[in-house]
Amino acid sequence: MSQYKIERVKTGIPGLDELIEGGFPRGDTILVAGKAGTGKSILATQFLYRGIVDYGEPGVLITLEEPPRLIKRNMMRFGMDLEKLEKEGKLAIVDLSPARTTSVNIEEYPSFDLSGLEAIIMHHMKKINAQRVVIDTLSILAYKFKSRDILREEIFKMCANITSTGCTLLLTSEIPAQDTGLGVFDIEAFLASGVIVLYNEKISDTSRSRSIEVLKLRGSKHSSRIHSMRITDEGIRVWPGEISPGT
Amino acid sequence: MTDDDAAVSEEDSESQLVEIIFFKSETCAFCPRAEEVLRETIEDFGPEMFKITTYNVTKNPEKAEEFGVFALPTIIIGGMSVTGIPEPEMLLKMILGFKMGVRS
Ligand SMILES: Nc1ncnc2c1ncn2[C@@H]1O[C@H](COP(=O)(O)OP(=O)(O)OP(=O)(O)O)[C@@H](O)[C@H]1O
Ligand SMILES: [Mg+2]
Repeated sequence: MSQYKIERVKTGIPGLDELIEGGFPRGDTILVAGKAGTGKSILATQFLYRGIVDYGEPGVLITLEEPPRLIKRNMMRFGMDLEKLEKEGKLAIVDLSPARTTSVNIEEYPSFDLSGLEAIIMHHMKKINAQRVVIDTLSILAYKFKSRDILREEIFKMCANITSTGCTLLLTSEIPAQDTGLGVFDIEAFLASGVIVLYNEKISDTSRSRSIEVLKLRGSKHSSRIHSMRITDEGIRVWPGEISPGT
Repeated sequence: MTDDDAAVSEEDSESQLVEIIFFKSETCAFCPRAEEVLRETIEDFGPEMFKITTYNVTKNPEKAEEFGVFALPTIIIGGMSVTGIPEPEMLLKMILGFKMGVRS
């Protein structure tokens, strides 16, 4: 329909590009939501890894939850050597995990912005000329700050500033176990120009099935079905022709 | 035993500088007011009581990363931090907390 073609960024997840007209729109913000253990961190990190190795796009991983040591160890299982990319200056893993916190916040007044976090991210982006950025996970910010309205606005501003450089930004959000929404904020859905949901649903007493759904993607004719997904020895893989048995 | 030994420790703590770290950025709209509140709050004390370090994270993003400071303004006193424009009472509490921390 559109006159001009939206430039696409290959996701690095085999099978996923086929569901979304070839990739994420370049410079967009994509939210990956899912309950614990659904594969959000693996998908996000794989997006960065393949971006560097296959498409020559340097990437920044902002980790707010897992320490880098564990991320590297986990990704090594899929043959993805993050340390090597770091040493080559193509990947920056920025450790902002709680384990590193040096002070205890005792009070928050509703008069703040997130320009600290933004400065940290932009600094690393500039250093390696990043084309891809991942923030894993946004949910930590919701635990950290209680002023929701400010947080929503500030995250929006930060995402806009990050992507204004042309970077494609991927955010993860954990959906609490009993929740039906998209995570602790429920705000992220409309901040992000794309929303992808990961599932790992029980399909019988003894088995679960992983699947992926593209809930929304700006300017894209995406699949509206829930597709099978697996975590293999090479990382996450989507079967575009296979509709999830759990649905 | 040591708890009752107030006279000695008080002398110790008085000679100990209260370290205050103030984080701001160039885009932060609330930072100037926070800096003012901080200045006004410590005015009544002797200036030799404090060691104030100001970091502008726009120029020094490494410092925001080092201290894990996401939100601005943030003031850190003795391992405790406040975010946003603080109430003077809260700053006083933190200064007192720092002194107590030094004593124990
Ligand atoms: N080598 C592997 N082979 C197959 N599955 C794996 C492998 N490593 C991890 N997994 C699966 O991936 C899941 C963890 O993925 P990931 O850390 O990306 O989840 P997450 O959605 O980020 O979870 P959380 O919300 O807890 O951060 C584990 O629950 C495990 O089932
Ligand atoms: Mg995770």
